[in-house]
Amino acid sequence: MWQQVKQALDQSATGFVTRFAALLPGFVALVVAILISILLAWIVGVVVRRALIGIQFDERLGRWGFSSAAEWSPGRSPTLLVSTVVTCGIILTGALIGIAAFNSDITSSLVRSIFAYVPNMIGAFFVLVIGTIVARFVARSVLIGAVNLNLSYARLLSMGTKWMVIVLTIAMALVHLRIAPGIVELAFGILFGGIVFSLALAVGLGSSEIVSKQLERDTKKVASPEMVEEPFRHL
Amino acid sequence: MDEAQGLQAEQVPQEPVKSIEQIDAADLVVGILADLPQDSVAELCNSLQTLQGNPRIVVLQSFPATVSTTAASSSQAPSISLLPWALEGQNLSSAPLETVSNAYNSIVTVSEKIGARGCCLVVSRLESPPSRWICQLTGPLLDGTSDFVAPRYAFRKFEGLLNSSIISPLTRSLYGRRVQNPMGPDFGLSQQLFHTFLSGGAQNGDRSSGVNMLAALVPRVACGNFRLSQAYLGARTFPPADWTIVSALLSQVLGPIFLAMEKNAACWQKARNSTPVKTLNDPTPVPQTTANVEIGHLVNSFQLGVRDLQEIWSLVLPPATLLELRKLSRLAPEQFRLPDDLWARIVYDFALAHRLRTINRDHLLRSLTPLYLGWVASYAREMETSDSLAAEQRLERLAVAFEAGKPYLVSRWRWPDRFNP
Repeated sequence: MWQQVKQALDQSATGFVTRFAALLPGFVALVVAILISILLAWIVGVVVRRALIGIQFDERLGRWGFSSAAEWSPGRSPTLLVSTVVTCGIILTGALIGIAAFNSDITSSLVRSIFAYVPNMIGAFFVLVIGTIVARFVARSVLIGAVNLNLSYARLLSMGTKWMVIVLTIAMALVHLRIAPGIVELAFGILFGGIVFSLALAVGLGSSEIVSKQLERDTKKVASPEMVEEPFRHL
Repeated sequence: MDEAQGLQAEQVPQEPVKSIEQIDAADLVVGILADLPQDSVAELCNSLQTLQGNPRIVVLQSFPATVSTTAASSSQAPSISLLPWALEGQNLSSAPLETVSNAYNSIVTVSEKIGARGCCLVVSRLESPPSRWICQLTGPLLDGTSDFVAPRYAFRKFEGLLNSSIISPLTRSLYGRRVQNPMGPDFGLSQQLFHTFLSGGAQNGDRSSGVNMLAALVPRVACGNFRLSQAYLGARTFPPADWTIVSALLSQVLGPIFLAMEKNAACWQKARNSTPVKTLNDPTPVPQTTANVEIGHLVNSFQLGVRDLQEIWSLVLPPATLLELRKLSRLAPEQFRLPDDLWARIVYDFALAHRLRTINRDHLLRSLTPLYLGWVASYAREMETSDSLAAEQRLERLAVAFEAGKPYLVSRWRWPDRFNP
């Protein structure tokens, strides 16, 4: 009896050591892959950063109307942001390749499905980044335009526009990630419609103020005809 | 008018010159961009005939709807060729700066090609007849006493406010020349000056860097030590004001000025104290209105800006300036007054933010609108019952404040991160 137990324990210990030994090359491959990817990421990151500095990427981005990208970039530099993203991407890819080296069915299918999902993640990331930049740009344009038109609800209008673009962006990113697309579409419709409706209400209610001001101004003009508005000429 | 029409009739030649290609040489080229009536054009041509030295003159007219061609040729009188002038994308009302700049580019190219000694462009519709000013604008170019003749318009206190509040004092402070209208637009240029522009412009990046020629003229004259003079042209007639386009106007006009400022930074940082510019003829007095001014809507715009644009202004203006603006926004319209030194610092800070691209440049310049309207309100409140002399003195004080604030600009320009009061 004892002999049989000992034999079974030996077999399982041998099996464990054999499986563990079989995993070791995978571990070594993972470590090597990560080390190589870190080295490669560092080199590529430096090259990308230098190339972007060379073409004055930050200034160009400002000239193209994306100056707000600098505001939420590390060190207020979009160049640094891009090089960091590239570096992290390479390290992540290296790690996934390392995991695939285990050569087991589970890790292989896991890595395959992750790699298949990567384009969606990249797409969603770019949609989010561009959407956020566009949202800020549009919000600022609306705010300045509305203030220059003397609209007292300029900030509300700007905020509403910004959230409309952000909601649209998030919905697009989620659809891209294939996360509950049905719910996302429904939620997006409700949210977007809600924002438009509340903006319409706010603008509609706010317009009454403008009309009453205009009427008040007209009444004043009639009441005191000697009050002549000076014609200012700017050019 | 009858006399002018008579003169025009006399000047119609038998075999008119039909295009600029047929002209091989001339002494002076005059471009007319303004939509002048034909009798004014005839009077202008007639006045040009009185220039000394019997110069050969080419007059290019961009609105030749009713003109075929006119040329005066007589043994005593100088010869004048009046030709139609085709300018691409011409739209003085929607893009005045670009159109005028293109016209200057075109006229200096033509002048260079035919070897003219000078050229000038008539852009404004003026109240006084051309006989009073055209010779002052062109004569100094031909007799070699001046390389650049800038216009001085008859001063009405509420006209040319963008020029009075920003362009003129800023130019005076930066380049040290007291030019009343640095953006003209009615200028006269000598051959030496436009030759420099054509040969050096491309090298120095005037065109490639997007610097508008109209904004680059006075800086080039001041930095190149060209001889500069001014001529009184009388009062201008203006199209009706449109409040909705003030922000677009600020963006269109100030953008090129700030770009030129960036390009000439090495020059203006060396300039110290301004000097007056020689004025060639006598001013024509114009009547001033002294009626009450409604500034409530201007103050409202300013207050709305202070309330809603803090987020943007905080990226451009230092905290001390923002604090002062907040205090001003709490004043009633009758007490509202924007101090000159504060206004000068605001303009300098916006120029710096334009250079640093702190935010999108169009956003930046448009966000200046409430502040500019605040200045207009403050100026209008002070000047509503004043005469033109008092208004001129007021603007002189503003220009002095700009000059006094120049060290602030130079410090911030050189060390934008370190010097931020």
